[in-house]
Amino acid sequence: MSGNGFIDAERRRFNLIALAPSLIVLFLIAGLPAIYLVVTSLTPFQLVNPGSATDFSAPFRNYRLLPDDPRFVNSLWVQAKLSFWGVLFQVVLGMLLALLLHTQSRVVEFARTFFLIPMVLPPIVVAIIWKLIYTPDISPLYYAAGLLNIAMPSLTSSVNFALTAIIIADTWEWLPFTFLMVLAALQTIPDEFSEAALVDGANRVQIFFYITLPFITPILLISAMFRLIDSVKAFPLVFLLTGGGPGSVTEVTNYYAYLLAFDFNEIGYSSAVTIVMLLLVVAVSLGVVWMGRRREAMA
Amino acid sequence: MSGGEGPIRRPASARRLVVIGVTLVVLLSPFLWLLQMSFKSNELILQFPPPLIFTPTLQHYASLWQGAFPASFVNSLMSASFSTALALGLGVPAAYALSRWTGRGKHALGFAILVTRMAPPIAFTIPFFLFYRWIGLLDTVTGLVLVYTSFNLPLVIWMMQPFFDTVPSSLEEAALVDGASTRVVFLEIVLPMVAPGIAAAAILCFLYAWNDFFFALILTRTNARTAPVAVVNFMNYEGWEWGKIAAGGSLVMAPVLIFSLAVRRYLVSGLTAGAVKG
Repeated sequence: MSGNGFIDAERRRFNLIALAPSLIVLFLIAGLPAIYLVVTSLTPFQLVNPGSATDFSAPFRNYRLLPDDPRFVNSLWVQAKLSFWGVLFQVVLGMLLALLLHTQSRVVEFARTFFLIPMVLPPIVVAIIWKLIYTPDISPLYYAAGLLNIAMPSLTSSVNFALTAIIIADTWEWLPFTFLMVLAALQTIPDEFSEAALVDGANRVQIFFYITLPFITPILLISAMFRLIDSVKAFPLVFLLTGGGPGSVTEVTNYYAYLLAFDFNEIGYSSAVTIVMLLLVVAVSLGVVWMGRRREAMA
Repeated sequence: MSGGEGPIRRPASARRLVVIGVTLVVLLSPFLWLLQMSFKSNELILQFPPPLIFTPTLQHYASLWQGAFPASFVNSLMSASFSTALALGLGVPAAYALSRWTGRGKHALGFAILVTRMAPPIAFTIPFFLFYRWIGLLDTVTGLVLVYTSFNLPLVIWMMQPFFDTVPSSLEEAALVDGASTRVVFLEIVLPMVAPGIAAAAILCFLYAWNDFFFALILTRTNARTAPVAVVNFMNYEGWEWGKIAAGGSLVMAPVLIFSLAVRRYLVSGLTAGAVKG
């Protein structure tokens, strides 16, 4: 098969030519910045003090400061609360919505598309939408509360409700994602399963817990992981609705890193905060890849 | 595959349709509130109970048209289009090569690409900001195009691979044995077969770049300011002009709504960046 050997060699050369430009560009615009971020995190670099960019006299100083920085520790805790409640609501509500819309009907199939709107909107528009809802003068929410004689506090500037306000907006924005994932999973469940169960006298609740739920559990976990990773990026909502406040009640790590770098000019320290965040994201990503492989192996 | 489309159909009951309808209205009401506000005069915006029927006005859209907003719209359009073109030009051949790659290192490379996609934007912003400040790319469309390519290129590679996987290799082998070069096979046999995938990837790239707020907030000032940043500036610098803010928000989301309805089938695979098939 000498012909095949020739083809293989030609194919290898083609693969190399096709891959090389992407790899080079990715290295330049993603690899180098990542390396630079690590390097900067080892310096006390401040924009006002250019000499500090190459000061490696105490490389791990930033990282040693982190555990004792109450604002950093608080930001991790805020992030954990936002991620936990946001992901939980998105998965549960998304699943319920998928179950509701998992039916054979042309009208419903057409309607599905409109349920996706919150997710595809530019995140900053989502933030504007909720800014309108949370601003007492112009909000139908406050008007309705007034009609019912409920004295509603200004949600986004209240210590008790600010984070909840962000969780509500975040859930609204990303619920369509879990909905879409679960719906896709539901459509792969063979009808015979539930039909056999029906014949055997099972009721709807039993079918849900013994057939549907086990079937969609992997996809629920995977959607949760993806949302968990992306929840770290929540920026426009915090930026526009609360600005991290009141105090630092809604200051997530991402926002703290942003303030450090572009408000306080602490580039070096901000880089260290970002690296820690990046490591957390990589850990979760590894989990997703591992679960994806296991799922493929099971299928 | 889709068991739900089996021979036995379960038609939706009337009660279920009502529940679905009510849910849809409740879910979309915040979005609709923004939309109707953009057509209301400033007095009407503050009027409660809100009138169900009112004479719509285009005054907010008109005042946007006269200000600096159209320029920011063009900036958004240019940076999103160029970065989409760049990402497709580089990423599509790479995805094909990766799809046919049998050697080692495929998974490691795939994971590296996934991480690029997952990384929080701030991780890239600090290095890009310092580098742009140094070479003078701050506040330029070119600068934005490069940053957007850093997340669009991995997206294209991840999204296109499964499409190439579905092209039967027997087809290519037959042409290769007939003496065609790999380049010709790729351009004339394989590419046309994955055209729908390329279209979907292109639209998603455009949307991601268009939706960006964070990079544009930090890397632009006035010249290259994009539409999302311009809308937020209404809030900070021109008082609380709610009608104008609502109109600006509606304009920013218009292209996104139109495009995403066109690619709704591919939304999930793009969002999960290929780590999960399906």
